[in-house]
Amino acid sequence: MGESGPSGRASGALHPDDGHAEHGHSAIPYVVVWIALLIFTALTYLTGKEHLGAWALFIALAIACVKSALVALIFMHLKDSSGMTRLVFGTSLVFVAVLLFFTVGDVATRFRPATPAGAPFGTERAQPEGLLEHELPE
Amino acid sequence: MSHEGLAEGIVAHHFSSLERQNEAMRLGMWLFLATEILLFAGLFCGYAVYRFQFPLAFAECSRHLDLTAGTVNTIVLITSSFTVALSIHFARTDQRRAAVVCLALTILFALGFLGIKAIEYTAHFHERALPGKYYAFEEVKIPGAAMFYTLYFLMTGLHGLHVVVGMSVLTWLLWRTNQGRYSSRYYTGLELGGLYWHLVDLVWIFLYPLLYLI
Repeated sequence: MGESGPSGRASGALHPDDGHAEHGHSAIPYVVVWIALLIFTALTYLTGKEHLGAWALFIALAIACVKSALVALIFMHLKDSSGMTRLVFGTSLVFVAVLLFFTVGDVATRFRPATPAGAPFGTERAQPEGLLEHELPE
Repeated sequence: MSHEGLAEGIVAHHFSSLERQNEAMRLGMWLFLATEILLFAGLFCGYAVYRFQFPLAFAECSRHLDLTAGTVNTIVLITSSFTVALSIHFARTDQRRAAVVCLALTILFALGFLGIKAIEYTAHFHERALPGKYYAFEEVKIPGAAMFYTLYFLMTGLHGLHVVVGMSVLTWLLWRTNQGRYSSRYYTGLELGGLYWHLVDLVWIFLYPLLYLI
């Protein structure tokens, strides 16, 4: 209640003490996150080059999610943000999940005439991974 | 010289305090970023559909992309995200010169990213690895290959557009930081520009493994 008074407003707008408080702000978390991001990029590169079959996509996306969490929480200050901004970000992620889940779910449960010409179907889908290794120029 | 550095000039009359205004600015920016995330999600969704239907073509085409260029660009963008975070840190600790240097570095990294992307695009045009009906890439002739390049150009193209926009915003912020408009007293404007740049980085973090490392 005291903040609504004229003196509260003035200190809220100017807050002269905050200038000193900001000098305590540390850049070390940014350096740590940067190094972690470089390590995770190396990990993505090394695991991606191995073409680990069915696990490849899962591993790549898991690493990408960890990397983006680091960027969002530390670089984008979501860790110290208000609940409102976190809610906005979280809501967008929920809708991305809804969009992907139902679209891929639809495509994955179609019958053959509904798939485009040339697309592998049913048991043919298991073949490409092995087939691919033979057809590669290297 | 205007006195925008003073609190009286920073706080708009309809906000009761600077904190309120900062919070409103951040919330507005995050709402905008949420729409950006959903914009890219549409393309990622299209990618998921066609990758599911043409796993072989997507894997083959992916291996014809320049993995070194993609990896270097990932490192460049991550480092640029780091330098922009540092510039905000320096601004809020009243180290103006360091903040300006970090912003300049970020813009240079953005230029570097676009340069590498331009080299890659040139190679695609020479190989005629182009979207849709323009696709005439000799090395991959299987159904779905044209669709990979359609999505590749749409996703990297929209991302590249965001890099250009982000670069322009950062140049403007560099100008303002150099004028001394951002300090421990007020740095929210710079912070919001940084948020946009981090989003550009976030999108690329997903594009890199999905396009270059299938």
